[in-house]
Parts: sequence; C-alpha cells; structure tokens
Amino acid sequence: MSGVGRVGDTTGQMFKDIGALTGENEIPVIPVQDLSRPCVLQQVRGPQAPQLFELVKDVLIVGRAEDADIRVPSTSLSRRHLRLERGQGTYRAIDLDSANGLYLNEVRVHSAVLRDGDNLQLGNAVFLFHEGK
Amino acid sequence: MAFFVRFWGTRGSIPTPGRSSYRYGGNTSCVEIRNGETLFICDGGTGLRELGQDLIRRQSAPLTGHFLFSHMHWDHIQGFPFFAPAYRPDNTFYIYGTSAGDKRFHSLLSGQMRSSYFPVDFSELNAHVASTDLGDSGARLIDGVLVRCFEQRHPGGSYAYSLEKDGRKVVYATDNELDLTLEDIELPKRDPAAPRLLPSRFVEFCRGADLLIADGQYTDGEYLLYAGWGHARATTVVDLAMQAGVKQLAIYHHDPMQSDRDVELKIEVCRQRVARFGSPLFVFAAREGVELKLD
Repeated sequence: MSGVGRVGDTTGQMFKDIGALTGENEIPVIPVQDLSRPCVLQQVRGPQAPQLFELVKDVLIVGRAEDADIRVPSTSLSRRHLRLERGQGTYRAIDLDSANGLYLNEVRVHSAVLRDGDNLQLGNAVFLFHEGK
Repeated sequence: MAFFVRFWGTRGSIPTPGRSSYRYGGNTSCVEIRNGETLFICDGGTGLRELGQDLIRRQSAPLTGHFLFSHMHWDHIQGFPFFAPAYRPDNTFYIYGTSAGDKRFHSLLSGQMRSSYFPVDFSELNAHVASTDLGDSGARLIDGVLVRCFEQRHPGGSYAYSLEKDGRKVVYATDNELDLTLEDIELPKRDPAAPRLLPSRFVEFCRGADLLIADGQYTDGEYLLYAGWGHARATTVVDLAMQAGVKQLAIYHHDPMQSDRDVELKIEVCRQRVARFGSPLFVFAAREGVELKLD
C-alpha cells in the first residue's frame, strides 16, 4: 500500500511498542519528502495573473526580461527587477535598483526576509508569498 | 550617497521568540545603518548576533564599525558578547560616548563580560574595541556623516541619534517616554484626539528626517497601565513625526506581549491618526529582516 509500511527499525520503536499495546502491527508511514513543499509565489494581479510559481532554485530573477525566471511582461517592471535568494527556510527579496521599486505590504523596501502571506508589489504586478515546508 | 537601514531586532524589553512574533521578529533592539563603506550599529540587543554573522558572510576584509548605544539596559546590550566580528583580529569597533571624555558605555558594555555574567572576558576580544565620543557638542562628523545625539526621557537616561549626509537624514530614537515630555501631559486623557505638542528642541532634532525609527512600544490602552516605565505610546510618536515633518516613521521596540496581529492593529491606529490630521507621513512597523534604502 502506498505510503503505508511496516515499522521495523529503531526509529519506529515507540510506534511498534504502541502497536503491541493496541494489537495493531502496521501503522502508516509517510515519507518525509511527501510532507515537504516548496515556497510559492502567487501572482494575484498584473499581466497573466493569476498564476503560481514554485520556487525551487536557490536564486531567481523576477522581471520583464526574456530570460527572467519569473517573467512579467509589463513595462512597469524593470528587466531585472527583483532577486529572490533562498536561505534559512525562506527567501530574501532584493530590489535590483528597479525603476518602480519593491513594496512589501505597502512599505517600500530595498530587501526583506519574506514571511508567509507577504504581499509583494513590483510595478503593476502583485504577488503573495507562501512559505514552504 | 544613500543610507541603507536594516532592522535586526525590533522587540522591546526581552527577546520574544515563537510563532506570535514570527512576522515582526523577537530579537531585541539592533539596527544597522550603512552609508557607503561606513557602518553604524544602533544598539546591541539580541539582533546583533545575527548582524555579526551576516557581516562575516558578506565581508572578508577587516571591518570597522561605529556603535551608537541608546543606553545600557539589557535589551540593548545582550547581543554584544555574541557579536562574532568582535572576536576577530583586524576588526575595529568604536563605542561612542555622548560627550567629551564620556566612557560610560564602553565601561558598562565591558562590565557585562565579566566571569560572573559571561565566560569570555571583554579583554579577550580579539578585535580592537575602543572608546571614543561625540565631543562636547554631542555632534561629530564620522566619515562625512554628521552624527548628533539628544538626551531622552527614560529611567537611567537614554539618547537618540541623528545621522545626516548629502541631504538625507535618519533618526534613531528608542526608549523615550515622550508622553512625559508633552507640553500638556494631561491632554491625551482629556482629549485623546487632540494634537499633542512635543518639546520644540526634540521636534527640531527630528526635523525633516527621511526616516524616524522611534520607540512606540505601547498602544493607548497599554500606556495607561505602564506610564512611567520609560516608553512611548505609538500615537504620541505619530504626533512627534508629524510636527517634525518626518517622511517615514518606523514604530519600533514592540512590546513583548504584542503578537504580530497586535503590532498590526497598533500601526492601523497610528495610520488612522495620521489620516485624521491629513498628514503625508507614512507609518509602518519596524520588522526584523527588512532593509530600507534612503536615496
């Protein structure tokens, strides 16, 4: 059965003991990788919205350039507007001296460590940041 | 040249880790202010530890930093023994007194690194950690940045600092019970909506700041319980900023009992007050990990 396994190693000893008490020898084991999920940038406003971007790279560029990792075809964004850098379980957003700036929850910032639910505005594009696990 | 201002610790009184402070942060007072290669560090609360780690990551060359301490209460110095760059030879840090010959801050800072309090003695720091001061006038040019200090109202005393260069100005003013300095102390009780007049000397000190980082620990309700504890209610800080023509106000030194949601509600009340007076002032909550560029 997928996602279900017999616990026999030492890490499952406690569950095994519980199983002995309850008479159940099989308990579900969910592989750790199935619980993890990447951070997500959700575009909620602007060209091509709505759309979701899973952040899997350590460094990403957001802008209107053809080669941007997250491309927003709008002149209100600079070609390379924003860099996202992974670190400590989340991302740091850094304004790349863009013409129209980076707004975090309506505050113009140069950079910020992102938190779940943050609102990022770049030109006429608005994103919500969802922290991964 | 632009000022870069980064918040490393925004909490008042005591570190407040945990989910309730997840967004605005739980580290105590520490703000990094850079102008070109010149590094100022305002206070050394627990946020200073992470600033130290970041400085090491971003700079391999010898480092020079200028410490401007508001005062020596625990939440403003606790990070210093864990400030890794202070353990590295070739680095130099200046601890500023607020008048000529004033070595109090250097002396008190080293005092917390005696064996009764901490296993590593101050004398064992490998960096050069020197005492210097702002002179008799309380003002000094440091690498072209004019630094001035202003004595505030706080138990044991505290100082605000203003940093100016090329027409840009940042004011760091924490641990200051503004309400006790009002021209009419009873006014907020009689008429909470009325404008509260602050002392003209302090208003002029803050005049025209691009950014004022100020102690706004309490909501109006909390201040009624904690008047005399040395901290401002956020709405009075708003009045200071409006009277001084400040552009942006970062409410700082959040009370440890305030959750992220509480901080946001405190800011919302401040914004409503600004709107009522029709001021262009922008108010926001200082948040750990956020960096502003003032150019």
